[in-house]
Amino acid sequence: MKKKVLSILLTAAIALSAVGCGGTGNTNTESSNESAESTETTGDQSDAETGSEGADHAEADSQDAATEESAASDGTKILKTAASFAYPSLDVHKEYYGWYTSIYGVSEALFKMNENMEAAPCLAKDATVDGSVWTITLNDGVAFSNGTPLTAEMVVKNLQRVAEVNERFAYLADFEMSAVDDKTIIIDTKEVYPTLRNELASPELGMVDLDATTDFDNDPICTGPFVISSFQPEGDVEVAKNENYWGGDVKLDGAVFYYMQEDDPKLLAMQSGEIDCYNSVSSAALAVYEQEPENYNVVSIPGARLQFYILNENTLDDAVRQAINLTVDKDKIAEYLSGTVSPAVGPFSTSAEYGKVTVPAVDTDKAKEVLEADGYTLGSDGIYEKDGQKLSINIKYYAARALDTLALLIQEQLKAVGIDSVLGVEEDPDSTYIANSDFDLALYCMIADKSGDPLYFIESTLKDGSYYDCGGFDDAHCEELIDQLKFETDTTKRAELANEIVQIAIDDNAFGYVGLFNNTTVLRPGVSGFAEDIPFDFYGIDAETDIK
Amino acid sequence: MIKKAIVKIVSLISILIVLSFFVFALLYLAPGDPAEKRLTSQGVAVTKEVLDAERERLGLLKPFLVRYGEWLVRVIRGDFGVSFKDDMPVAPKLYAGLKNTTILAMTSLLLSLAISFWLSILSAIRKNGIADNIIRLFSFIGNSLPNFLISVLLMYFLCIKIKLFPVIAKGNVQGLFMPVMSLSIPMTCRFIRQMRTEFLTQMKADYVVGMWGRGVKGRYIVINILRNSIGHIFTIIALQIGTLMGGSVVIETIFRWPGIGKLVMDSITARDYPVIMGFVIIMGTIYVVINQLSDILSHCMDPRTNL
Repeated sequence: MKKKVLSILLTAAIALSAVGCGGTGNTNTESSNESAESTETTGDQSDAETGSEGADHAEADSQDAATEESAASDGTKILKTAASFAYPSLDVHKEYYGWYTSIYGVSEALFKMNENMEAAPCLAKDATVDGSVWTITLNDGVAFSNGTPLTAEMVVKNLQRVAEVNERFAYLADFEMSAVDDKTIIIDTKEVYPTLRNELASPELGMVDLDATTDFDNDPICTGPFVISSFQPEGDVEVAKNENYWGGDVKLDGAVFYYMQEDDPKLLAMQSGEIDCYNSVSSAALAVYEQEPENYNVVSIPGARLQFYILNENTLDDAVRQAINLTVDKDKIAEYLSGTVSPAVGPFSTSAEYGKVTVPAVDTDKAKEVLEADGYTLGSDGIYEKDGQKLSINIKYYAARALDTLALLIQEQLKAVGIDSVLGVEEDPDSTYIANSDFDLALYCMIADKSGDPLYFIESTLKDGSYYDCGGFDDAHCEELIDQLKFETDTTKRAELANEIVQIAIDDNAFGYVGLFNNTTVLRPGVSGFAEDIPFDFYGIDAETDIK
Repeated sequence: MIKKAIVKIVSLISILIVLSFFVFALLYLAPGDPAEKRLTSQGVAVTKEVLDAERERLGLLKPFLVRYGEWLVRVIRGDFGVSFKDDMPVAPKLYAGLKNTTILAMTSLLLSLAISFWLSILSAIRKNGIADNIIRLFSFIGNSLPNFLISVLLMYFLCIKIKLFPVIAKGNVQGLFMPVMSLSIPMTCRFIRQMRTEFLTQMKADYVVGMWGRGVKGRYIVINILRNSIGHIFTIIALQIGTLMGGSVVIETIFRWPGIGKLVMDSITARDYPVIMGFVIIMGTIYVVINQLSDILSHCMDPRTNL
């Protein structure tokens, strides 16, 4: 009897819970849609919007509460945000850790890149050059968070340390550096080095009080508007206002950077009011935020990270390369990638002086004409062929930075004009198709503009023998221009040279510059100054960041 | 007994050496190198000279056997080396990851066992009854749901809808709840199905039919069935422990739980050989030890295995 009663009770309990679940059926469906979409890096925006409808007006309360919480009742302003990367160390000079100490508002370099992609004064007020000798003058009153003034001698020591501990900056060891007085540094680069000012804006060259810092990994003493108050290696980071900040008032009292890699939790944390802002917003999350402009302020600007493809000149003839470039529709790709990418013209932002190049408009009829003029005939299956061989190209890509989607879209667009293609995915492009050149069209994504100057990208991709010049592009005039660019000190002339060089590559159909990733930041109303208008990845909070 | 123990230890060491050699060889053959991954981790291109200098510094230009030998000698001395990704010592990384994964895995396992054991007995005893059908339906659904979906659904309902937990959890008991639930739901459902099948197999055995025929009371029959099923159940649990200790990348990433699964996945992406090799050695040892313990327990609990 007891057993029967027990089994009836148990069954009733399970049945009740099932009814309970059934009662929330609608909501469940909505959340499922949202979840599925949120996991996709790309997708149909309208679908995402449908899913987002369920994602909720219920959050409005929590958002109001969150803004109040951030500007807490005791008047302290603590910004809460999410960081997609976390590192085991805060040593400004090593690896890319300086990017994050810069984002945390802890470290500052001599110069700082601004929204116009210029190296603006920061710790240094000026840098002048005479031949190979640079004279850098420090700003007045610059001091570390412990109150110790930043001296020219300390700058030299810092630069020497970076050269020692960071392989990417080992070249600094070749320069002769000396402190003339407390505020003046002389750097002799031995040969003309026009980009030094921009290089000095690299966050890895942030200034650290080398004499007073005892724990570089956990508590570096720097000059930024914030100081580390809690650091969890490869985890969350908390910063507090630097009371001795040399640059004046700091508006925030502190900030918390939660390490959150996944897009879904970031979206949910934003909806629940647990964070106030974050950047690198995914397309699915963007669709949700754009539904509620009263609750979320979304700022999106073209960034410095470029999606492009390399056309192999050794395997594709001129006509096929031209036809490909006339066919790939960047605007449609950008539209499909729903707000995460802006169509590119060249490798650099068109707002930069060195981003003024032109590309032929998409013209599929002309693409077909070019192929037919080259002896290709359209087969019964809609694919061009020549000498009995179907026109089929080998597209290589890797599944990151939306390149997988890009590969599919390019494949579809090419097929529409009669070019067949086979997709090949690699986990590591650098040691496979980039190293071996076993592709017809290779997709890649990299930072094209790391310091407001075109030389780095041009030398990496267009100079003969460079690692990413793996498609056989070789032009003697281009080489001459690159050599000139390397030593040209006049900014206007540098831009002209860069434009000419890139135009040669475009006219040769050696590359296709598809899209520049947008730097997309979402902020709660009242939050400002989270580097949302700067196209570089290595800035975050500063003295002007505020919660109103 | 001592001889047996020595044989077991020697076989464990042999397994680990062979395993480590194969993994080292596979990593060597796999495309990609840690120097390039490290220098370009933020999408900044570097020159060949810089890349070669970094390769030299990390010792990647040495021949394969020299590298493997050096690594093996270090490990024998108890030194797992430093990470290629960030120059930090490997051992503390593995220790921290393993500790967090153990907490998560064991909590999830105990919760799953506590629920699934009783439900599987009920389901087997009431075969084809209402309770059995309901339990089977739920176990089927739970088994079919992927971890990431359960995680996000839990987050949505518990954090956004009913605001019971924060999305950004700390590494405390509260922060443990949702990752444990996400791991436990499919595991409980899997256990229920596996245990139910085992109980049903036992219930059809001749000895059970004989006991019913002799009029033995139901509770004694159930005790006998449990006693005879325990060996299989231990095997199921042992296999599950091995899987759980490997960590769950999805759960750990979504819930910000710094376990070993995420550590190893990040290390594979970065071609961080010292961390991967350290993980292989530790996991290899755990797998072998758990299997041995499972065998010993089976021998102790089930006299038939000694026949």
